[in-house]
This record gives sequence, structure tokens and C-alpha cells, in this order.
Amino acid sequence: MPGEIFNPNPTVFATKPTVRKSDLLKQSLWINEKAVQEDNADEVDPIDQDEIFDLIRSIDDPEHPNTLEELRVVSAPQIDVKGNHVMVEFTPTIPHCGMSTLIGLSIRVRLLRSLPDRYKVDIRLKPGSHQSEHAVNKQLNDKERVAAALENQALLDTVEQCLARAGRRGHSE
Amino acid sequence: MASAERLVETWMASARDEEIEQTVSEISNDRIALLDVVKALGEYLTSEEDQLRAKGVELLSSVLSRLPTEKLNRQSVRVLTTFYCGKLDDTETIIPALKGLNTLTTLPTCSSTEASSIMEALFTHVKMRALVHSVRFQVFSIIDNLIARHRAALKAMGKTFVARYISLVEGEKDPRNLLVAFAIARVILIEFDISDHVESLFNITFCYFPITFRPPPNDPYGITTEDLQKSLRGCLNASPSFGPLAIPLFLEKLAAGSPATKRDTLQTMAISLPVYGSALARVSARKLWNSLKLEIFQPTDPLTEAEALKTTQTLVETIYSHEEDAIESEDDIQGLARDVCEECIHILREPEKNQARPAIKVLCAFLATTPSVARYTLSHAVPHLIKLFLDPGEASNRPPILLLLADLVTAARDSMPEEVTDDTPVPMSPYKDEVLGVVSVGLKATVSRIPALALLRGMITTGNLFPDQELGFIVHLVNEVFQAEDAENDDFSDSAILDVLTTISKTSPLHVQEQTLPMLFSSLPEQAPPREATSERIKNWRTLLALKTLCVHPQLFEILAIRLTTKVDLLCAPAMKRDAMEDTEPDAAYAHSLLKTIADTLSTKVDAGHPDVAKYIDRLVPGLYNLFIFSALRSEMSAQGKITTEPRLVRTAGEIITLVTQCVPAQRQASFVSAIFEVLSLGRVQGIADGLQKLAADEKVLLFEESAPTARKNLLALFSAGIVTAHKEVLPSPQELDAFLNQLLIWSVTRADHYLQRESAWHIIASIVNKQADSATAFLEDKLDNFWPHYIAARGLSPEQRRYAIQAWVWMSKALVVRKEPSLARFTDRLFEVFSDDEIAWDAARALGEFASPDQILIKRHHAVIKILHAQKFVNGVLPRIILGAQDSSKPPHEQTAYLVALTSLIKAIPKASYAHEMPSLMPLVLRGLELPDFDIRADVIDTLLAAAEGDVAAQNLVTEHTSTLVTAMLKNSMVNEMPSVRVRTAALKYLGVLPKIVRYDVLHPSKPTVLRELAKVLDDPKRSVRREAVDTRTVWFKYSG
Repeated sequence: MPGEIFNPNPTVFATKPTVRKSDLLKQSLWINEKAVQEDNADEVDPIDQDEIFDLIRSIDDPEHPNTLEELRVVSAPQIDVKGNHVMVEFTPTIPHCGMSTLIGLSIRVRLLRSLPDRYKVDIRLKPGSHQSEHAVNKQLNDKERVAAALENQALLDTVEQCLARAGRRGHSE
Repeated sequence: MASAERLVETWMASARDEEIEQTVSEISNDRIALLDVVKALGEYLTSEEDQLRAKGVELLSSVLSRLPTEKLNRQSVRVLTTFYCGKLDDTETIIPALKGLNTLTTLPTCSSTEASSIMEALFTHVKMRALVHSVRFQVFSIIDNLIARHRAALKAMGKTFVARYISLVEGEKDPRNLLVAFAIARVILIEFDISDHVESLFNITFCYFPITFRPPPNDPYGITTEDLQKSLRGCLNASPSFGPLAIPLFLEKLAAGSPATKRDTLQTMAISLPVYGSALARVSARKLWNSLKLEIFQPTDPLTEAEALKTTQTLVETIYSHEEDAIESEDDIQGLARDVCEECIHILREPEKNQARPAIKVLCAFLATTPSVARYTLSHAVPHLIKLFLDPGEASNRPPILLLLADLVTAARDSMPEEVTDDTPVPMSPYKDEVLGVVSVGLKATVSRIPALALLRGMITTGNLFPDQELGFIVHLVNEVFQAEDAENDDFSDSAILDVLTTISKTSPLHVQEQTLPMLFSSLPEQAPPREATSERIKNWRTLLALKTLCVHPQLFEILAIRLTTKVDLLCAPAMKRDAMEDTEPDAAYAHSLLKTIADTLSTKVDAGHPDVAKYIDRLVPGLYNLFIFSALRSEMSAQGKITTEPRLVRTAGEIITLVTQCVPAQRQASFVSAIFEVLSLGRVQGIADGLQKLAADEKVLLFEESAPTARKNLLALFSAGIVTAHKEVLPSPQELDAFLNQLLIWSVTRADHYLQRESAWHIIASIVNKQADSATAFLEDKLDNFWPHYIAARGLSPEQRRYAIQAWVWMSKALVVRKEPSLARFTDRLFEVFSDDEIAWDAARALGEFASPDQILIKRHHAVIKILHAQKFVNGVLPRIILGAQDSSKPPHEQTAYLVALTSLIKAIPKASYAHEMPSLMPLVLRGLELPDFDIRADVIDTLLAAAEGDVAAQNLVTEHTSTLVTAMLKNSMVNEMPSVRVRTAALKYLGVLPKIVRYDVLHPSKPTVLRELAKVLDDPKRSVRREAVDTRTVWFKYSG
């Protein structure tokens, strides 16, 4: 990674894939039968906190070979879904982290591509976690500025690199 | 003489190969002498005209190169050598002269005197820069020959040889020549006195490092980058005197290079350092480590990191290995290893941080170096981590500390030799008690459980570390974790626990048997939890999963079989008075899960080829028959025994019987099979059933009676399970069976109550027909002549009954397909006949595909007669006909559709290779299949396309032709409002995700905006699984660019 390294030695946390309680409860009486036959079930699975977390947890950190989840930059409780509004909060590993905007932008792009467009997505730094919190928040939630940033090929390439393995969704591969 | 002259003249005029051939053969047959040729060439060899002179020498060299070696004596070699050396300073003749010398140097008659004069001449006359690479190759070959054969003569030329050689070959660039040059340089470096020329030699070898050569496409010499790297490395590590010059160069390349260069440099360093010697390694240790550290702690990629670790290992080994004997105590370790250890342990003070990982990797790498360094490393790292673990201030960091310890333990284990004897030193043994203490603390907390298990696993897989009673203690520890209230598998520790227990049970099953199994069995309730108690049920399944994993060992399986069958007996026993209205399904499901556990474990054992499976024919099978027969009889009179009439339960019991009987030898099978036939014909069950519930001596089970209740008919599944595995010779003769099979067939179509019964009947028929096809002609003929017209082609019958009959037909035909029976064709033909019959056309069409589908009955393990490539033969027979039928527009549309259905069903069932060659004609038909109204067919079609996408380039090119159709069809099939089936939507999205990988960018990219726009709608699918697929597919398309 070119340029200055902001946090050379961040803490790495253990992770594990999420298990949905609702999936467990749907189990049949019989040991080797699939939970309710999906084709027949008409019920709708709403998009929830866990699903959005699954989308962003395995985004790679721009500085380290770790995922955002492993560095506790994002976590499920920091995501809030109400109706058509999604609020994602993230925590940089150190208050002066210059990569915050890039991380936020990666989350933004991932959600832009993966959520239906009826959602309005807000991405914010955890209050008090960054020295220029206000500026970064403003940058991340300004449509024009996000669009302009994505016109920049070099920046877009970096974002793509962070997103390259986002499809892991918390599993190791 | 005349002949020689004539040949020379002709060649000078024509330059044809024939004359050379002829000259060579004349000389070989002693009709002319080489001298004659030279004489005949005389005027040309000395001609004033450049071209003639060159041609003259060329002819001589060509003849020489093909001449048998014995035709050249010492004398002629000497003369020719002098002659050729003289021609080297002539720019016209140097090329053929080198060719001639190349031949001469390979001859045994070429003496060392000639060798030195050739070398001398080369040094004097050859200017490499003036020659093209193929000629330079001749020069290198000559030197290579001389080095190989006359090394002493060259050495005798003194130090000037090296100097002159260097100036001769300097600046070579051609890869083929370099390969030879590197080989020569290695010999010079090792064997010649190079003391005065180290620097020049360094310059002419290290200037090529690192190799950046990329072979051009269609390279005629086929030289790869690896070839060059390998032979260059042979030079770089040839001499210790390169060391002081090489190390700065290596470090420079390491710091500045691309990842590939870095890896090359690291590998080269790893093989060079031992040659350069420990003194140099010790002096440069600091510098080297500083560079290597960067590659380990801030790695560019995992491969480079691994190489850097290996190089570090070599460095340490180089420094310490020779003084190994001198080291008596750990404190004697000085210098690099000590410094690095201290550095890493310092980093490990923050075990939760990112940098702790590389630090532990370095320490792990040290364990595989010299014994003293390994001892030193462990004696500092392990106590440090244990102290850290026990520090209350670090309590939150326990999981990472345990993981770090696990890495160390595993590395220590791997550093031991593969064959462990009793006196092999075990590096970890001084610390095992402390580490075990840490493990037992770690296991107590949920967060640190998995790391603690990983550490434990590393310990128990270390040979000779624990004596038997300590393993007992470990089993006890792990059992406690499994039982702990909070361990409801949501922390995924189960598989790790079972892993530990399985590992222990492989060597000492007694501990698991005495401690774990009683605990598991006692946690299984006597009765099933009620329907609503999901968590109870999941807990039971967890216990059963544990039992299934652990009880593969013969000793443990025996206990499992006894305990679980007893439980099933009690559950199903009619001793308990049951209310007729009571909900028995949970109990039935519970009993089923118990039997399923036995079946799954058995299946694992059968796969592993355990010999103890066969004995369960006497221990397990009679009890099962007894239980099910008894309950079937009782349930006719009361609500008792209702549980065991559940078809799924019967099916699983059948599974167990099949698994056991397939391992039983033929003579034991004989009595068993005849007992089964006794039940089927006479209803006498006493020969087969034996167990808890006593059956009256005259009790009869007549399955095929018209009044037989469904519970009794279900029993057929259990008998079928015992017959399908029979060896051919233990079955009754076809004549005896004929009536029975006919009765069974009609029964299956007309009187069987549900699928389990029908299928059991068909399995018996298929298995017997397969094993006795050669003598069952009468039976088969009868089916073609009577069964077909009366049960399938009969339009008056109910469609349902006809469908059953078709299924029966499928099973009979399958029996013939797998043994490549010629009579099969007539069975196939019949099916095509009903494609026009609307009522059953689709069923017949699907059935055709099922002919070739693999099943679990007609398999080698069941002693079925199976010939290789049977599916291929069947497909070759029917596929062209199906394709024609589907393409034939003179047929009515519904018949064409039937062919299409047959096609989709067939290609779903068979391996890809068997229809790949037909793909071009199949593709349009397959696409039409995507429009059939049946969702399952559509999903099958997409699955087929997915399978084809993994195929070769030809199949992918085919997709290119149909790209836009495919994109539109798949998008349509992925929309929830167009396609209600989740399976089809998922498959369609998967295929859309594959398209960018197999279709050329210029063809597919016009679809990109549409696909992205349309997929945005699919992101709002009501089903989570579909959304997930949509996200992944859309991501693929976003990244898709030229």
C-alpha cells in the first residue's frame, strides 16, 4: 500500500458467521429433511440488520490483510434498518485514520450495488471516534461528492480492491 | 576416387542432402576414404572465391557430423582440428568450421592436445559480437563439450583461461545460449582456480539476476523462465567467494523488486546462504534480517511471506548448525536467533494486535531449524505467553494468546520426525502441564473455547506427549465443555470438540467409551420431546451427530448399535399403552433419527471398509425385522405400534439392512435370502426375525393378500433391502422366481399404497433382472408382449396407474442398461411409441432420461452386473433419435415437446462427456427447453447449462453464439413476478453470473447496462437466498470490463 500507514498494528478480533435463530426454528421434526420447502413458502424474508452486515463485513481493510469485521470497524449492532432507511455506523481503528473516507466509500459502493434502490442509506462514523468526524460524514453522504469520487479511476480501483472479496460474508472463503 | 569427386561436384552444384547421405554411406562401407573426400574438396577448401570456400568447408562439416565415430582416428582428428582452427579466422568459413569442431569435440579420439588448441583458437579468433545467436550456440556447445571431456587440459591452460573465457562470453543474451553458458560457468566456478577473477565472474553471472525473461509465444526451444532461473541459481551458489559481493545485491533486489522478483531473490538466497558459509551469514545477519523482516511483517502477498520465512530459517540454520555440538545450555545462543526471538517476544506483548501473527510465524519457523535454536525459542516464547495468559490485566486477550500458543505447539509438532519412537525428544514436553492448565482455563469461557480446542488439538496430535491417563483427563475436560449449558453449538465448537475426541479415540478408544459415550447416551431422552420443543430436539440431534462422528471405531460402534436399538425398541414397544388420538409423529421422528444415526455411521464404516460390519447380520438385522414385523402385526389390531408403520422409519431400517447385507459373504447370504423368500412366499417369518417381542410360532405375514393393511405392505421395503444386495448365486433360479416377479410387478402397479411400497417392489425386480438377465428372457419377452399393451399403452386405464407402470418399466430397463443388454433397444422403442399419447407423453419422455440416471440399487457394492461405459452406449443409441424428433417440425407440437422433455431429462441424468460432441445441435433445443411451462425442467435446463459452462472452449464458443437469447431468458427467469420458483430464479442468477466468465467481452458487453438495471430489481426479491445470489451476480457484472 503506497503512502503513509496510519495504524501499523491494529487489533484483530475473532469472527464467526451469523446464524439466524429464525432458520433454526423452522427446522422440521425429521432429522434429515430440509427446513420448510422454500418453493412453496410464500412468506417474505425482510432485509434486516444481519443481511446488511453480511454484505459489508468481509470488505477488506485498505491498509491490512484483514476484513472490516476483524478490525471491528463494522458490526451488526451498528446497523439500523427502519422501513426504507438504512443507517450504517462504522468505527475507525484510530481517531486520525486517513483511510476513513475510503472505508466509508467502499461501504457506500457495496450497498449501492447490493441494496434495492428504494433504500436511503446513511453512512456515519461512530460519534467521537474520529477527529474530523463531521467532514467525513458530510463527504460520505453527499451524493454529488460520492459520484465525483467514483469518476476518479484510481480511487475506484482502490475501492474495487477492497470489495474484491466482499462476497465471503464472514466465511473464510 | 571418382565416386568421391563426383559426389563433391554434384553437391557443390546442388547442395542436396542426398549427396551427403551417400558420401557418408560410401565412407561407412569403406568404398571411399574420408581422405578422398578431402582431396576431392581440395580446390574448394582453398578457393579464392568466398562462397566456394564456405561451401567446401560446409560439406566437410556436414559429412563429419554424420560419420560413425570409428571412422575418425586420432590422426585424422588431429589434422582436421588444425584445419578447422585455421579456418576460424576466415569470416566466410567460421560458421561451418565451428560446426565441424563441434563434431570433433564429441569424439573419443579427440585428445587433450587438440582440446587446448581448439580452445586457444576459439579465444584467438572468435568474436562473439559478430556472430548470430545460432552460431554462438555452436561456440558454447564446443566449450561445453571440452569442459565435459577435457577439463584437466583446460585447467592446465592456467588462470588466463578463466580471463579469456570471461571476455569471450560476456554480453550473451540468447536464452538458449545462456542455459549452456550457466552450466559451463558452474563448472568453472567450482573446479577452476578463480581467485583472481571472482569479480569478473560475479559480473558475468549476477548481471542476469533476477531473470525477467518471458518466453515468446511458440518458442521453438521451449525454454521457460524456470529453466533459466534454475540454471542461473546453479552459478550463483557455486562458489563461497561470491558471498560478500552477492549479499548487497540480493538485498537491493529484494527491496526494489516486484513480487515475482522478491520471491526469486528469496529462493536464491535460501540456496546460496549455506554455500556462502556461516561466517559470512553471521556477519551479515543483521542486515539480512532487517530486509527479511519487512517481507514478513509487511508482506506483499502470502507466497512471498512464506518464502521470506523459509529464507530466515536457512539463515538461522547456516549460522548455528555447525556449532550445534558446542552449545550446551540455552544461554549459549547468541547473535541473530537470540535477537530475533527477543524482538518477536516483545511484539507478542500485545498478542491481540495484527503484528503478533507474523511474529509468531517467525518463532514457529525457528522451531524447524536447529535443535538448540528450537529449544531456546520454545523456552522463551511458551513461558512468556503462559504468563501473559495468566495476567488478569490481559484477560480479554486470552483467545488470541491461545491461538498463538496453538501455532507454536503445532509447529513444534511438525518439527518432529515422522516416525516417532519412544526416545524421540518431544520439544513440548517440558511445558505440557502448564499448557494443559491454560487449556482448561480457556475451555471454561465461551469466547476462548475454540482457540483452546485448537491448542488442545495441536497437543494431542503430538506423538508421545501424553501418557494414557492424561488423555483420560483431556477427554474429561472436553466432555465438560460439550455438556456445558451455554454450549448449544452456536459457537461452532462442536466440530472442534468432536475432532479432539475422534483423534483420541483412534489410539485409545477406551477413554471415549468410558467417559464420553455414557454421557451422550444419558442425555438422550426415553421419549421424544413434544412437537413445539424445537430446542430440545436440536439438542438431541446434536448428541446424535456427536455419536455418529465418534462411534466409527469398531469397539465404539458396537456400543452405539446396542444402545440405540434398545432405545428404538422401547420407543416403539407396544408395551406402552397409547391413546389412539395421541400425536405419535414426534416419537416416530425421534426413532427415525436414532436409526438414521446407526445407518449413517454404518455407511461411514462401509466406505472405510471396516471388517466388523458383516457381523451385524446376526446382531442388528434380526432385531430390526422382529421389531417392525411385530409392530406391523399388532397395529392391525390396535393403535399400538403405530410409530413403526411410518414409511420414513421403515425406509431407514431398510437402509441399515442394505448396508449390513452388502458386506456379508455369499454363503451367509444364502440362508438369509432364502429366509426372506420364505416370508414373501409363505409368510413364515421365524427364520429371519428374532428379538425382544416374541412372535407366535404360527404367525404369518402375508404381504400380497388383498386385505393386507398398509403397515404390513410397508414391510416389503425391509425385505427388498435384504434382496437387492444378494450375490447372483444365492438367488433362486429364474424359473422359480418367474411367477413371483410377475405377481410383484402387477401388485406394484395396482395394489401398492404408496411410493415406498412400489419402489421396494421395483428394486427387487430390477436387481433380480439385472443379475439374471441371461436366463430371464421369458420374463422380459412377456413384459414386452403383455405388460406393455395392458398396463402402459392401454388408453382406458387411469393415467395414474399408467404412470406407475412406466416407472416399473424404467426400473426393468435400468437393469438392462447397466449391463449393456441388447434387448434394451426394444424397451426404449416402446417408450417412443407413446410420445404421441398426450396423457402420458411427458411421463414417458422423462422416463427415458431416468434410464441412464445413476441410482443406489444397481451398484457394484450390491453385486449388480455393471459394464463400463454403459451410460455412454445408451446415450449414443437414443440421443440422435431424440434430437431428430425434437427438430422434426412435421410432428405435432405436443409430440415435439415430449422429445424436448426427454432431451432435458436425459442430459440432466448423464455425465457431460457423453453428450458434449452433440452440443452444437443440442444448444438450440436446450434453449427451447427454457420455455417449457414446467419449472423443474427449466431449473434442470439451467443446471445443464451451468455444467456445460465449465466445459472446454468449444462449449463456451457455442454459448457465445446464443448470448443475447441466454441473457434475456435468464433475466426473465430471475424475476419474482415472472417466475414463482425459487430454484429456477437462483439457477438463472447463477448462470448470469457465469456468463461474463465464459463469453468474450466484445460479445457480451452490450448487455451490461440492461443486466445491471434488471438485476437491481431482483435485489428486492422476497427471498433472502435469491437476493444473495443477485448481489453476487450483480457484483460480477459490475467488475466486468474488457
